Amino acid sequence: MSYVTIDQVTKKYENQVVLNDISITLNKGEFATLLGQSGCGKSTLLRSIAGLEDVDAGRILIDGKDITNLSPRQREVGMVFQSYALFPNMNVFDNIAYGLKMKKVKNIKSKVAKMIEMVDLAGKEESYPHQLSGGQQQRVALARALVIEPKVLLLDEPLSALDAKIRKSLQKELKRIQKELNITTIFVTHDQEEAMTMSDRIFVMNKGNVVQSGSPTEIYTTPVNTFVANFIGNYNVFKMDTFRKLVRSTELKGDEVAFRPEVLKLLPIGEESQDLQENWRLKGIIKDVSMTGNILRYEVESEDFSFHVDDLHHRGAIFDQGTHIQIILPKKECLFL
Amino acid sequence: MKSLLSFHKALVGLLVIYLLIPLIGTFLFSIAGKWDHTILPESYTMKWYIELFQDERFFDAFQRTLFLIVMSVGLSIVIMLPTIFIITVYFSKWERLLQAAAMLPYGIPPIVGAVGLIKLYSNSLIPIAGTPWILIGAYFITILPFMYQGIRNSLRTINAVQLVDAAELLGATKFQAFRTVVFPNIISGILVSTLLSVALLFSEFALANLLVGGRFETLQIFLADKLNSSGHLTSAIVITYYSVILLLTGTVLKLTFKNEKNPAGKKKNRVLSLLRKQSRDKKFALEGENS
Ligand SMILES: Nc1ncnc2c1ncn2[C@@H]1O[C@H](COP(=O)(O)OP(=O)(O)OP(=O)(O)O)[C@@H](O)[C@H]1O
Ligand SMILES: [Mg+2]
Repeated sequence: MSYVTIDQVTKKYENQVVLNDISITLNKGEFATLLGQSGCGKSTLLRSIAGLEDVDAGRILIDGKDITNLSPRQREVGMVFQSYALFPNMNVFDNIAYGLKMKKVKNIKSKVAKMIEMVDLAGKEESYPHQLSGGQQQRVALARALVIEPKVLLLDEPLSALDAKIRKSLQKELKRIQKELNITTIFVTHDQEEAMTMSDRIFVMNKGNVVQSGSPTEIYTTPVNTFVANFIGNYNVFKMDTFRKLVRSTELKGDEVAFRPEVLKLLPIGEESQDLQENWRLKGIIKDVSMTGNILRYEVESEDFSFHVDDLHHRGAIFDQGTHIQIILPKKECLFL
Repeated sequence: MKSLLSFHKALVGLLVIYLLIPLIGTFLFSIAGKWDHTILPESYTMKWYIELFQDERFFDAFQRTLFLIVMSVGLSIVIMLPTIFIITVYFSKWERLLQAAAMLPYGIPPIVGAVGLIKLYSNSLIPIAGTPWILIGAYFITILPFMYQGIRNSLRTINAVQLVDAAELLGATKFQAFRTVVFPNIISGILVSTLLSVALLFSEFALANLLVGGRFETLQIFLADKLNSSGHLTSAIVITYYSVILLLTGTVLKLTFKNEKNPAGKKKNRVLSLLRKQSRDKKFALEGENS
């Protein structure tokens, strides 16, 4: 029995279709991520679930109840906005207590105190939003959304305004809190790495459609089309006829071929160690090398085709620009789409 | 670097002098006894003020002007605040229309507007021609641009739409959201617009003169009348109402500045107590003057 059901939801602005017949189901306690490029409709879908946008067709159900036509305040969903939207005239305590006050709940003090503890903001109760750092504001926004015990938590790029380090630690913390409360969460991001580390399930969106859904591993290793391949793993994607020429093989089927940059291996010219039954071997030249932390990223050219190769950074084993090399491509790592 | 700074200082100094000289001149003239061939007055006297403060007409005119201002500014806030809020938050398509409408008063010279209004209402079913009510209506339009800009900018600055969204998701009704998270954050913006409007209306003459004239003598009409009898007296009038405006501005600016430094939850209370205090002061002043 699914906990959240989005059933054939369509949304248009003027004549532009922003959500095209979207169907999604989530289980209770699941951490789902909407992943896609800017403008693909992620926020619109989230706002539709929250009731901040009306949908043109379709239904939305939470815990078996049809909420499609309910106002936001009746939906029992919590939301954290990209810019937090904290109330500037209230301090941390009052911001977090706001929802409880509106719902006239008892024991406001102890509930807020517990929440403040959970998001690690003890001692900041009296501070105003403008006196907090970005990360702290983000925690307040999270606490404010969680304290009313919503059935579903919606997060619209809550970490995108923060720098990389704080972002990493807040990702962990967010995940911990989500597990602790076992709250069904829909998270929006356009950062594939963030989606990979946090999600139980990823929905990849493109131009108002969900193009693929699945666990991070599924999405990463078996993208269903070149859009997902490009977006998720920096896949190298080639048209099939050009690829046939490159590997001098005629019996390959499909329109396109995709392979991840880290399945390729670079060897110095003359070294013979790879099995040619299972690999293709190409001759190439290093066009560019860049280093992103522990990963070396090569741009390699072979017979006018260029592609990326990722390699772990082993000390001293860097091929310089202009070096001639052999490229080993394992056949079983190629996806024919 | 240093010379640039002193250049800036000199420039500001010049500007201040340029702005202050007419005021100082007016002030000096209002307390001058004999002032013919000298740079500064030869003798000083308070008799113009004494004469002014003993004149019932002055206080009546002052009260009428205050009445007009309070009515039109009050009406403007009561009508424009919800209108602008609703349009920016829920009907953003119509914002351009509202903006255009709010800017119209700039395009219509007061004389033209007044003549048009007189023509329109002289045979109208709504018998307000020649009464203060038509003037209140006209003033409402006059201050529209200030009120509109002030309120809209405040709403934009705080991103009111998103605050309302957030509040609604936390269980607030639209009205509760407005009252608890929008209004407290735009109050200082509204105060500034109000202040501008009050200052503007204090010195409004053309519309008042054409629409009601002597039938409802405002401060400016009284002033114009006195202009023929004594320049000293008119200077005293000007200085008096300038002082009132200055006092008002000072308090409001102090208030908004304080709010910015420490936007405590007591903000609303502070505004209220300030307003209460002001009205008390006003009553005090009026009582003192009447006795
Ligand atoms: N109020 C609106 N009126 C008209 N078009 C809109 C409106 N809001 C969004 N759109 C359009 O809908 C599309 C999807 O917008 P949405 O905000 O959902 O994108 P997004 O996936 O959240 O992008 P981002 O990652 O940049 O936040 C965009 O093409 C946008 O131009
Ligand atoms: Mg978005």
